[in-house]
Amino acid sequence: MKLSFRDVSKTFRSLRGAVPAVRGVDFSVEDGELFVLLGPSGCGKSTILNLAAGLERPTSGEIRFDGEIVASLEGRVFVPPGERNVAMVFQGYALYPHLNVRENIAFPLRVAGEAREEIDRSVVRTASMLGIEDLLRSRPSELSGGQRQRVAIARALVRKPRLFLLDEPLSNLDAALRTATRAELRRLQRSLEVTTLYVTHDQTEAMTLGDRIALLRDGRILQTGTPRDLYEKPQTPFAASFIGPYTMNLLKTDLEEEGGVCSIRIGTERLPLPPDRASGARLLGSRKILFGIRPEHARAHPDSPDPGLRGIVTAVEHLGRETLVTADLGGASLRAIAGEGTLKEGDVARIAIPVDSIHVFPD
Amino acid sequence: MGEDRSFRDLLRGYSFIAPLVAILLAFVFVPVVGTCIDSLYREVTFLPRAFIGLGNYQSLASDPGFRQSLRFTVLFVLASVPLELVLGLSFALLLHRPSPARGALRACVLIPWAVPAAVSGKVFELICNFQYGLANYLVQRIGLTDGPVNWLGSTGGAFFALVAGDVWKTAPFVAILFLAGLSAIPEDLYRQAAVDRAGPVQRFARITLPLLRPVFVVALLFRTIDALRVFDLVFVLTRGGPGGSTTSLSLYGYDAFTGGDFGYGSAVSVVLFLIAFTLSVAYVRIGRFGRELS
Amino acid sequence: MNGERRIGMLHLAGAVAMTIFCLGPIVYMALTAMSHRPDFLAPGAGFAFTAAHFLEVLRTESLHFPEYFRNSLVVSGFSAAFSVSVAAPAAYAVTRLAIPGRVAVLFAVLAVSMFPQVSLVSYLFKLMSAMGWINTYAALVLPYTAWILPLSLWILTSYFSRVPRDIDRAALVDGCGPLEALWKVIVPVAAPGIFSTALLAFIFAFNELLFALMLTTDHRARTIPAGIALFEGLHGETPWGAVMAAATLTVVPVVALTLVFQRRIIQGLTRGAVKE
Repeated sequence: MKLSFRDVSKTFRSLRGAVPAVRGVDFSVEDGELFVLLGPSGCGKSTILNLAAGLERPTSGEIRFDGEIVASLEGRVFVPPGERNVAMVFQGYALYPHLNVRENIAFPLRVAGEAREEIDRSVVRTASMLGIEDLLRSRPSELSGGQRQRVAIARALVRKPRLFLLDEPLSNLDAALRTATRAELRRLQRSLEVTTLYVTHDQTEAMTLGDRIALLRDGRILQTGTPRDLYEKPQTPFAASFIGPYTMNLLKTDLEEEGGVCSIRIGTERLPLPPDRASGARLLGSRKILFGIRPEHARAHPDSPDPGLRGIVTAVEHLGRETLVTADLGGASLRAIAGEGTLKEGDVARIAIPVDSIHVFPD
Repeated sequence: MGEDRSFRDLLRGYSFIAPLVAILLAFVFVPVVGTCIDSLYREVTFLPRAFIGLGNYQSLASDPGFRQSLRFTVLFVLASVPLELVLGLSFALLLHRPSPARGALRACVLIPWAVPAAVSGKVFELICNFQYGLANYLVQRIGLTDGPVNWLGSTGGAFFALVAGDVWKTAPFVAILFLAGLSAIPEDLYRQAAVDRAGPVQRFARITLPLLRPVFVVALLFRTIDALRVFDLVFVLTRGGPGGSTTSLSLYGYDAFTGGDFGYGSAVSVVLFLIAFTLSVAYVRIGRFGRELS
Repeated sequence: MNGERRIGMLHLAGAVAMTIFCLGPIVYMALTAMSHRPDFLAPGAGFAFTAAHFLEVLRTESLHFPEYFRNSLVVSGFSAAFSVSVAAPAAYAVTRLAIPGRVAVLFAVLAVSMFPQVSLVSYLFKLMSAMGWINTYAALVLPYTAWILPLSLWILTSYFSRVPRDIDRAALVDGCGPLEALWKVIVPVAAPGIFSTALLAFIFAFNELLFALMLTTDHRARTIPAGIALFEGLHGETPWGAVMAAATLTVVPVVALTLVFQRRIIQGLTRGAVKE
C-alpha cells in the first residue's frame, strides 16, 4: 500500500491557544517500504503517526492510501481508524490488561467478526512468527517488557494490515534487547512486505532500519532520503549534527583567502581547500561559515613532522573499539578518532582531516 | 494536548453526561430552589399558602428555639471536628506503619464508618443509659465519679454523648483520608531526614505535617460541612433533647416539616444551606489560592 | 535505636487502643443483643446467653424487621446500580472526551454534594406526594440515586483517568467504533473501580436516614435505619435486647461487606476524596 501525505498540517487547539504540531508535511511511502520518522521529542513525529492511523484529523492537507483519500478536512473525508486496516504498536504497548495474550492478539479479528477457527489459526500462526506461542495463556502483567512488545506486534500483524505503524517501539527495552529486537523487526518487516511507518528519536535505529528517513524538527520535514543520503549529504547543520554515530564537529569559523588559496580557519590552524571545494565554498557568498567534520572521519595522531593541523589533547575517551580524542586547536575544539599510537592529555596531536569529508554550511 | 473533536464526538460526549445532569437537576437542584421559594411562603397544613416574603426569616431571627439549635450546631462543629481530625490522624499514623495485622486493623477501623448512624445512635444511647449503660459502668469502675451520670438527662451530658458518637463514627473516614495522604509522601524524604539525624518527632513535624496540609484542608472542609448538617445521630441518640437543647439545625427543620409548617422549615433549611454553601465557596477559594501559592 | 523500640511499643499500645475504640461499641451491642437482660453490667446481674431477642426481632410481625431488611436491600441495590450506570458514562466523557465545560461539571457536582439533605427533603416530599409515590420504592430510589451521584462520579472519574489513553487508541485502531471501545475495553479494564464505586454507593444508600423517615410511612417501603430509629417497644420502655438484636442484624451485612472488600473500599474512598 502506498501512503502519501500531501501538505498535511495539524494544529491543536486548547485553552492555552493553538499549537501547530505538524506543518505542511509532504512525503510518501512506497509499498513494502520501511519509512522512518526521525527527530527530537516534540517534533511532531508521533502526531504524523496518529494522523496516518486516523486517531487525529488533519487541519489541512490530504492523506491518501493507494491514491484514495482517507483524510481531508477540505474534502470532508475522514475514514475512522477502525476502517483503515491499519495496525499500530504503541510506545507503552497498550495491551488489554483484562485479556490474556491469546485474547489480546485475537481481539482485532474478533471485532472484525471472523470465524472462531480462522481466528485461532491466525493467532497461533502469528504467535509462532514472533516466538510467543508459549505465552498465549499468560496475562500482560505477567510478562516482561520484551515479551509484551512481541504481543503488541503480534496483535498488530495478525490481521495483515495495509499499514504498520510503530511508535518508538524499542525505547522501553534495555540496550542489549534493543539491538537484537531491531534486527528481528527488520527481518519481520521484510518478510511480510508490509508498508511501515516507524517513529524514533534514535538516529542509530533510523539508520539501521530505514529504507528512507524523514528528519523532522518543529513539525516540519527538514530532509528526506536514504540513510546514506542523510549521512553523506546533510542539508542543514541540524541534520548534520543529529545523524551519525558521533555528533559532528560544527565550528563557526571564517573562510580565508590568501594568495588564491581558500582555507578554512580552525582555531589557530588553517585547512586549505582544493580548487573544486574552494569554488563551492565561495558560492555560499559569505566569509562566515559553519565548518563540519565528523569525528569518525578525522584522525588524531601523535605529533610528527608531517604536515597537518596541530592541537593539544584535552580529553581521551576509550570507547572499546575506538578512542575518541578531543583536541584544542588554539581555541577551536575538535573531536577525532585516535589513529596509530597512544595519546594522552596534554600531548600535542596531529589532526588529519580528509578534505572530501568536510561539510560547509552557511552561518 | 487538546484532542480533536467533530460534531458527532461532541454530541456523544454531552449525551453521556446528560442523564447525570438531568437526575441532579430534577432531584437536587430543583428541590433546593423549590425549598428556597417555599421559605418565602407561609405554608402550614390546613392553612392556605400565602406569600409572606421574608416573614419566616423574621420569625427565625426572634425564635429562641432556632437560636438554640444554631448555637448547638456551631458548638457541635467546634467540638467534634478538631477531635475527629486529631483522632483520625493518630489512627492513620498507626495504620500506615507496616505490620502483619495491617489489613485486619484497617477493616476494624472501617467498621464504625460502615455502620448506619441510626444504629450507632441507638448503641450510644444504650451506652449512655443512666442505669446500666456501659459509660456509667466504666466511669464508676474507674472511679471518675461517685454515682452514675445522667448523660442524656442533662444538656452537657447529651452534648458530650453526641460528640462522642460522632467522633466514633467519623474518625475512621478522616483516618482513611490521612492514610492516603501519608502514603503519598515519598519514603526518600524520611530516609534523608534519618541520614541528617532527625529524630522521629522532628521527622513528623518537619516532613509529615507540612506535606499533609492539603489532605488536612480537604478533611477539615468535608467534616465541617458534614457536622453542620448532622441529623441522623441527633435524631436517634437524643432526639434533640433534653428540652430541645441538642437540636441541630437539620433536626429543627425536620421537626418543623413533620409539625406541618413547611414554610418555616424551608426557611431553616435555607439558612443551613447558605452556611454550608458559603463554607464550600470559601474552601474552593482557599484551595485555589493555596494551589497557586504552591 | 531505643527511640525506635519505644515507638514500636507505642504503636502496639496505640493499635490495641484503636481496636478497642472502634470495636468496643459494636461488641457491647452484640453482647446486649445476646444477653438475657440488658443490665448485665449492673452489680448482681450476670450475663446469660440467649437468642430470644433475635428470634423476637425476626418473628414479631408488628416489628416488620424482615420487611425493613428487604426494603433496604432493594432500595440500596437499585440506587447503587442506577447511580453507577449514570455516573460511569459521565466519568468516561469527562476524562476522555474533551468536552468544553467538563471541569465545571465536576465542580458543580462537588458543590451539590455539599447541600444539606434537609434543604431538599420538603420539596421531595411534596413531589413524591404529588406523584403518589410516597411510601414506595420509587420515592427512595430516585433521590438516593441523585444523592449518591456526586460521590460515584468523583470516584469513577478517578478510576477512569487511570486507564491509559493508549488503550482507547489501540481499541480504535483494532477496529472498534468509539462506543464499542468503551464497552469492550474501557469498562472491563475499569471494572474493579466500577465495583468499588457500586459498593460505596450501596453502603451510603443503606445507611441513609432522613429521606427514609420523611418519604416512607410504613413497613411497605421503610428501610432499616428508619425502622431502628423509630423502634418502639410494645410497652413503651425501650426493649434494649430487641433493639440491639435488630441493630446487630442490621450491621451484619455492612460489616461483612466491609471486611471482605476492605481494600477496595479504602481505595475508592481515597480516590474519591483525595482528588487533588
